Amino acid sequence: MKRRMAKLMALSMAAAMIASLAACGGGDSGSGDGGSSSGGDSGSASGGDKEIVYWNIGTESPDKDVITKAVEKFNSETESGYTVTSVPTQNDTYKEKLVVAMSSGECPDMYSCWSGGPMYEYIDSGFGQPIDDLFNASEIKDKLMESAVSQATYNDHVYAVPYQNISMSGIFYNKEMFDKYKLKEPETLADLENICDTLKKNDITPFALANSSKWTGSMYYMNLAARYGGLEPFQKAVAGEGKFTDDCFIKAGEKVQEWVEAGYFPDGVNSLSEDDGQAKQLMYQETAGMLLCGSWYTGTFATDSAEFYEKIGWFPFPAIEESDADPSIMIGTVGDQFIVFNCEGEKLEAAFECAEKHLDEEVIDFEVENGKIPPVQGIESKLTDSITKEVVEAANNASEIQLWYDQYLPPAVATAHLDGLQEVFGLTKTPQEAQEAMQKAMDDYLANKAE
Amino acid sequence: MGGKEISLEKLRQRDTRRVAALFLAPVAILMAIYVIYPIIDTFITSTYQWNGISAGKKFIGIGNWKTLLADSSFWIAFRNNLVIMVLSICIQIPIGLALATFLDFGGKKLTVFKVIWFIPLLMSSVAIGFLFTYALATNGGLVSTISGWFGGGNVDLLGNPKTALLTVIMVICWQFTPFYMVYFMAAFTNIPYDVFEAARIDGATRGQYFWKIAFPLLVPSMKSAAILSMVGSLKYFDLIYVMTGGGPGTSTELMATYMYKQSFSTFNMGYGSAVAGGMFILISMVSLITMKLLNGKEEA
Repeated sequence: MKRRMAKLMALSMAAAMIASLAACGGGDSGSGDGGSSSGGDSGSASGGDKEIVYWNIGTESPDKDVITKAVEKFNSETESGYTVTSVPTQNDTYKEKLVVAMSSGECPDMYSCWSGGPMYEYIDSGFGQPIDDLFNASEIKDKLMESAVSQATYNDHVYAVPYQNISMSGIFYNKEMFDKYKLKEPETLADLENICDTLKKNDITPFALANSSKWTGSMYYMNLAARYGGLEPFQKAVAGEGKFTDDCFIKAGEKVQEWVEAGYFPDGVNSLSEDDGQAKQLMYQETAGMLLCGSWYTGTFATDSAEFYEKIGWFPFPAIEESDADPSIMIGTVGDQFIVFNCEGEKLEAAFECAEKHLDEEVIDFEVENGKIPPVQGIESKLTDSITKEVVEAANNASEIQLWYDQYLPPAVATAHLDGLQEVFGLTKTPQEAQEAMQKAMDDYLANKAE
Repeated sequence: MGGKEISLEKLRQRDTRRVAALFLAPVAILMAIYVIYPIIDTFITSTYQWNGISAGKKFIGIGNWKTLLADSSFWIAFRNNLVIMVLSICIQIPIGLALATFLDFGGKKLTVFKVIWFIPLLMSSVAIGFLFTYALATNGGLVSTISGWFGGGNVDLLGNPKTALLTVIMVICWQFTPFYMVYFMAAFTNIPYDVFEAARIDGATRGQYFWKIAFPLLVPSMKSAAILSMVGSLKYFDLIYVMTGGGPGTSTELMATYMYKQSFSTFNMGYGSAVAGGMFILISMVSLITMKLLNGKEEA
């Protein structure tokens, strides 16, 4: 009897221990969590109330102020009779919260997201409404950059309103350091490698990279792949007509490993954390000369130290001589935050009106003041910062702009890409192996979708 | 006469049952809602192909389970869990016991150690994760600096797939050893002081007292400590999530982090549920087998 009790106890203990996990696994059971802050609101809103619930990640300035400004403007000026309630959530937990809310039928009426794979997933699951009619009738149609609209488009329909920031990947460098060693901005990859060698000789790490976050290393990879083979191999692979084992992907991976072996990246690159600012620290300590990342770094540098920011220059990723790929192609996001709508009829009109307010002149001016580059045409005339101007110029001149792989790809493929690439950086996988794993994830995804 | 007695006894039995049911009801209801229902729901969800948000789920029977059995990532994660389990038990319990013994023999004057050693357990896992990420940083971290004093180069512990898991296990042990220390201290207080006195009067040294008397009396506590540690290791999540995110590559991926990634990052709730179900089965099995082994020994 005692032993049976012990067994029972053990079973129930094991059950209790795993219960928390199981609760995460079971979609329905998580509903309490997602609804905690606004479940009541959205519940009543979908019940025909005149309230629109708007989820976003504006928990900190300046994002918070921008959204507050737009929402307040809508609430005070609108004639629709609706009011918008903004529900900001911290960035890290936002995606999970959104998923839980959707699975439990508490999806907000409008929400902000990053476009790409997850957004397509939301739309496919019925949590995003096409806004073609509203969009075509609106003045923001002519106002927004074409590339921004194309990143908000899925299956030939416009689904979202991009509003926040243009962010292109490019290389930041320490101008003083370049002067000291008589270096100038590179035109070709060979030039760039010469710069790296010179820096290396002088005991300076060429690239500041913190790759425990994984997407940071992907920046280098995406640019290399785009310069080797343009965007066509990537687009084909995504469509299922090509493979991620294409030459340009393998070459990009091999180049990464060549750079790792040559010591172009800091020691222990895979354990440095971008979130803890370990890449920028290397720049500040002037032990690293360059940093390839999204152009949001202008804001980071300027906020951390205006003095240091004076020393910083920027250039887009250089061309590769032996390749005929278009060197004007940029990797980045045109909008950063995209507002998606989960309501219909009058309510959708009102929500769309609120989204329009995010692109109001007054709000745009405010964003520019705070170092953002809203994705609207002619924005360069409003900018004063020289690096930001260069970034916008590169974006305007780009023949095509590809959204970050990890954001654009179906999430399972993105994970395979990031995991594999990290091992390529760690020299524990060959580029071929990493790309095959990525292709396998893509095959699985396409097979599932076709079913 | 006899009939009356039986009915009295029956009456008492009925009352006992009623009261038992009444007192057990709150726990039973909570268990049903928060433990049993989610587990059943997890198993149901695992038979669907579902991204976690769409209204339509596609029933695929045991499709997810077939994939799970053939999924090398899951088995790598399970193996990592087993490594954590074995090393946790081998490191935490002996050290915890040693510390507890030291404190027990030392008495009140060692209270300061008791307090200091208990601190790691009071810190949140996330804070510990950040703390050690900095302490073990390749550039300017503790280990790299010490290695520098002796002329060695930078040491990359968390970024190297060969050392990452061991490094995280050391941190886990740092965090949980105090728990077993306290656990064994409590066990020591259960040994009557007379036993100690009697042993001393009979001429036993402290060493003899520990090995011949205290240790055997502590064995049952050690068994339950081992089971606690085992179940804890198999469902481990937080420190790994903060320190390595399962990386580099899949070298520190655990079943729980894998489940989380499948369910939330890659929109694969159906498969994530199968992983959770698989974890449930594996953990139950490992626990049952271990308990059978431990109890078997007791009888022998």
